[in-house]
Amino acid sequence: MPPTVADVSGLLRVLAEHDVSFLVVGGVCAVIHGAPVSTFDLDIVPERSDDNVARLLRALASVEAVHRDLAGRSIPPDASRLSGPGHNLFMTRSGPLDILGTIGEGRDFSTLASRSRTIDLGEGLTARVLDLDALIDVKREVGREKDLATLPILVRTLEERRRREG
Amino acid sequence: MTYNPRMNEGEPARETNTFSDDGVDLTLIRWLLSLTPAERLAVLQSNMRSLEPLRGAANRR
Repeated sequence: MPPTVADVSGLLRVLAEHDVSFLVVGGVCAVIHGAPVSTFDLDIVPERSDDNVARLLRALASVEAVHRDLAGRSIPPDASRLSGPGHNLFMTRSGPLDILGTIGEGRDFSTLASRSRTIDLGEGLTARVLDLDALIDVKREVGREKDLATLPILVRTLEERRRREG
Repeated sequence: MTYNPRMNEGEPARETNTFSDDGVDLTLIRWLLSLTPAERLAVLQSNMRSLEPLRGAANRR
């Protein structure tokens, strides 16, 4: 049985090894920026060119990814879904991985990339992570209760960061 | 990387508020901000793994 929590570094390393272009978003993004929130999966927004989707498919195959399916079916990833704007929720041998074509009001990799930065995550691992102010904008756009619930923590974290940076 | 709720003691007065007006625990934020991104990720991963058995137990109820 696969783990029910993500091996975040392990998944990021697999994506990097397969040269996949993507942004880290969601709870992992928030924590990397210093926000004390909890999550159990890794959310990413990939660049959706044909070449990158092909690399992403190879990365997903290497961790035996299948769609998380309530009916228990084993549905492998496919290029057409990964090329679209929807959300693909996978279970892998390194835990849950959510691949989001767009987030917020239709924001995809190309529109979010300018609001991201590459961050050193130790042991030779780097990842491109959405900026905290952009994550706050996305959460406000989505407006779901679960997103609004974490919003005050993200906003206070951004304020603390800015205060420290002068 | 252990959280210490007394870590703000001795800091300037402007850092002594432990909660924001909307109830956010500022000591946790300041503690996480004192870590590197790699250390923050390690804290998250440790928390995820320690909570995994509890999630499993809750789902079995």
